[in-house]
Amino acid sequence: MVTRTHWRHVVAGREAGTLLGLAALCLGLWIATPFFATAANLANVAEQSVIVGVIGIGMTCVILIGGIDLSVGSLVGLAGVVVGTALQRGMPVAIAVLLGLAAGVVAGALNGVMITAGRLPPFIATLGMMSVARGAALLLSDGRPISGFPDSLRLLATGRVFGIPAPVVLMLSLYAIAYFVLTRTVFGRYLYAIGGNEEATALAGVNVRQQKVVTYALSGLSAAICALLLVARLNSAQPVAGIGYELDAIAAVVIGGTSLLGGSGSVIGTLIGALIMSVLRNGLNLLGVSSYLQQVAIGVVIIAAVLIDMALRRRVHRST
Amino acid sequence: MTPQQPADIALQMSGIHKGFPGVVALAGVDLDVRQGEVHVLLGENGAGKSTLMKILSGAVARDAGEIRIDGQRVALATPRAAREAGVGIIHQELALVPAMTVAENVLLGRAPTRFGMIDGARMRRETVALLQQLGATLDPDAITGTLGIAQQQLVEIARALSLNARILIMDEPTSALTERESARLFDVIRGLTARGTAVIYISHRLDEIFAIGDRITVLRDGRHVATQAVQGADRRELVRLMADREVDERIGGGLRNGGAPVLHVDGLTHGTRLRNVSFTVHAGEIVGFAGLIGAGRTEIARAVFGLEPFDHGRILVDGAEVRIRSPRDAIAAGIGFVTEDRKREGFVPGRSIRDNVALPILARLAWMGFVDRARETATAETAVRDLRIRTRSVQQAVRTLSGGNQQKVVLARWLATGARILFLDEPTRGIDVGSRQEIYQLMRALAADGVAIILMSSELPEVLGLADRVLVMREGAIVGEFSRDDATAGNVMACAVGA
Amino acid sequence: MRTPTWLALSALAILASTVPACRRGTDAAAKPTVALVVKTLNNQFFIDMEAGAKAAADSLGLELIVQAPEREIDVERQMQIVENLIQRQVKVLMLVPNGSKEIVPAVVKANAAKIPVVTVDTRVDAATLAAAGATVATFIGSDNEDGGHMAGLFLVERTGGMAKVAVLEGVPGHETADARLRGFRKAMAAAPGMQVVASQPANMERDQAFNVTQNILQAHPDITALFACNDVMALGALEAIAAAGKGAAVSIIGFDAQDDARKAITEKRMAGTIAQNPREMGRLAVITAHRLLKGETVAAEQPVAISLVK
Repeated sequence: MVTRTHWRHVVAGREAGTLLGLAALCLGLWIATPFFATAANLANVAEQSVIVGVIGIGMTCVILIGGIDLSVGSLVGLAGVVVGTALQRGMPVAIAVLLGLAAGVVAGALNGVMITAGRLPPFIATLGMMSVARGAALLLSDGRPISGFPDSLRLLATGRVFGIPAPVVLMLSLYAIAYFVLTRTVFGRYLYAIGGNEEATALAGVNVRQQKVVTYALSGLSAAICALLLVARLNSAQPVAGIGYELDAIAAVVIGGTSLLGGSGSVIGTLIGALIMSVLRNGLNLLGVSSYLQQVAIGVVIIAAVLIDMALRRRVHRST
Repeated sequence: MTPQQPADIALQMSGIHKGFPGVVALAGVDLDVRQGEVHVLLGENGAGKSTLMKILSGAVARDAGEIRIDGQRVALATPRAAREAGVGIIHQELALVPAMTVAENVLLGRAPTRFGMIDGARMRRETVALLQQLGATLDPDAITGTLGIAQQQLVEIARALSLNARILIMDEPTSALTERESARLFDVIRGLTARGTAVIYISHRLDEIFAIGDRITVLRDGRHVATQAVQGADRRELVRLMADREVDERIGGGLRNGGAPVLHVDGLTHGTRLRNVSFTVHAGEIVGFAGLIGAGRTEIARAVFGLEPFDHGRILVDGAEVRIRSPRDAIAAGIGFVTEDRKREGFVPGRSIRDNVALPILARLAWMGFVDRARETATAETAVRDLRIRTRSVQQAVRTLSGGNQQKVVLARWLATGARILFLDEPTRGIDVGSRQEIYQLMRALAADGVAIILMSSELPEVLGLADRVLVMREGAIVGEFSRDDATAGNVMACAVGA
Repeated sequence: MRTPTWLALSALAILASTVPACRRGTDAAAKPTVALVVKTLNNQFFIDMEAGAKAAADSLGLELIVQAPEREIDVERQMQIVENLIQRQVKVLMLVPNGSKEIVPAVVKANAAKIPVVTVDTRVDAATLAAAGATVATFIGSDNEDGGHMAGLFLVERTGGMAKVAVLEGVPGHETADARLRGFRKAMAAAPGMQVVASQPANMERDQAFNVTQNILQAHPDITALFACNDVMALGALEAIAAAGKGAAVSIIGFDAQDDARKAITEKRMAGTIAQNPREMGRLAVITAHRLLKGETVAAEQPVAISLVK
């Protein structure tokens, strides 16, 4: 679904900067180690970015409307456990998968309701859900991981479409859909408008509450899809899966240029942000860099990205 | 008002130049202010007043020119340097910390300490002394955010005084005050000038200028155009100097009466804020709502537009009753609402003109959820043309437009929805004279087209000049109605204050 | 351009600082590279293992890369590290799996790349391995079940056969912790006077162990003994018990014989711990890797002795 207008958009927009950052990173790694630029390794890198990438879609939408979702990591664990439990009880694969996705959607919608009707700040509401969902996952699974999933499900991780790993194909398709929705549909426009000025948008007759609930439900859905991918890859649903994923997703969104204040940003940027993070991790593994230093590196990149974004904003403001 | 002491020059600015990339903001401006005088600075938006004041208060560096305070040359390189030189500035948007007490705000950053801890008693004493100088009786321990705007302003002035400001800049200080509060403020200013403080007063309101000013300096396009004494100055001449065109403040007549009744509000009640409000508006009519701030005008608009619930009452559009529980219902009934605070409620600053204009009708411009970009652009371009919005393209972000053009975008939004009933709440607040005229003309054109306009404004001349009928509100109820011929500032005001 | 310059520069700066480290690796073409992936480097046990491995690697002329995820529970991250190291074309992979069943797909990939896999300390689940058709070259480690049993017997002896016991489990599903628990429970079952009143997981983490122990003490203030599946947790429990003022009343046994635990034992604050000798495991792992490189065959199991420290 890549049209000429799409590329012009990307090249002219802020994503250009992040894309160049990714390119520079890849170039640097290509020089530093001969193991980076092989087809197999790049395929690995793409696959390794899927987890953060998929959650990043939902997180981008939530951050666009000026909110945040800290519960996605726990929802990954919960959805995986729901699928596993359903299969253990003998339900067919399709139903189990649907139940897992539903778990994510319902939890996300609950977040949305707490934030709109309950007037809780998104930080607090999703923080609470983070604990509740994690607890629910542990309860449901009695603390033990569930393993042994049917091959049909595992295809999600091991399958290939025209030689490209299935998870990557799934992620790219989801991103294409997200891009389309955000830029071309009424729903997408409303998201940007709400993030830019919620009161003015409400005044224009938009049902802001409904939009918000749907957005948080979408975030829950993307966490659930990620859970499916994880379960397929590890052949195990751990109740403790996903710990810390919310921070990685936020990092990808921020590196990608979306403002935490809402109203501006793009889902393509998040994709590039997720890629930057996996390329960085992959490179540091290949170079044998100490694991401790890897944490530092990721942190430095996030801070640098935000600083640059802020500096850019100030420049734009001053010149107008 | 005229000072009795000899005219010592407190401030002298000569040959001030300032340029920004692509534009010359000030081209050799001179200004001199005497001790104890109220010197009014007049000019359209973009004339250079705010730039000049920013230079004076140390926020912006001048490119060339000299500043002397009490005869001494000063650099005024930073806000701190300006403060130490005795320059204080009260901005339009007050720079107070709402969560802190009055005393804490007045002595912000300079709280008196004893053994390293804040000396609360001394802080209170000093604050009370300062407030007394202004004739104000505020509780130094009151939380600033709970005070009214007029009182918050006094806190700011007290703060400036505590910094020993001998030159006080006041930027549109009465824009959020009632008539009564403005009168009190003028007393405070007179008190200040009697003690020798020079006040530079920036305002658009000609009535005020004549009430409080000693001399007027008019700036236009970054240049100094004229300096006159207030006594003997001619209003129309001043406006001509500012805008370089003849403008008639009293916009000639509304419309012929007649036209079918399009909006009928019957018995609208909401606690004590709206008390049994009933009125009718006809097609092509401009109805003005006058009254003090807090009288209930905005509340009517918000209730009819579905932003606030009400206890009793009916709303009829074109003779049929409508249930309005949200802005969406109101828009569907053909009602539009240009709110008081356009920055907060009027538009989405980061989005383009096109996105903003199309937002209320986006669903109509879409097919199966996908937005038809061509139609969207066409709608926006029509709006830009019809309302004469000055912009490079409809893709420009609304944030980058001037105040007047931003307001036009807000208007365009409602026109795009096909609204036949338009509520306008303080539509020309903070907008320069030239753009104001354009908006007035637009309103008349809309009325001529059959749109019913309900104008809420605290600027009496505006209401008197535009409205076919004036409804006066006081404490939530309609207490008087005047036709265009009968309405004068005097009797409308009298009705509004209940005299 | 705007954004990229700084971003690129900072990223390149980070990489540039690591280039010297990697250049060494690729220049010295004579040194084959082997990799050791442990559960986490936030645990003294694995730091000791790394030390033993490094010493052996230096003396044998092997280049050693050591990597680990941040937390023991993170299986996905460990998988990613293994995948990346396979791309790095290491000659032998030594692995302490975070998920005995979950890590199997990574073993499959290593097999496909013809990289022999040596498991250390924690086994990969045999059934899952067989189902996937994958193999590991050897397992080097202690018999954790035996160690748990030893700990249990010691506790019985110490408390005279009568005690209320609390147990801190590890990460559910980790084969190491499960084995230790099995051994311990066998010893408890054999002694009728020993009552296990509480058994809770604390994920091998110190602060979690602190909290869990505090909660157990609320429900069972009269416990007289505590067994933790590793020293990290035992030390956390120790502090919780001391904070409650019950230091003298409760005998605490850990597992792993970390330095801090040994100190606590000499100070009589802890009763004992089971020493596994991670250093020896690391050393043996590298020696085995060296032998595999030379084409020798190695035994399927290489046990490392355990001992009680009291």
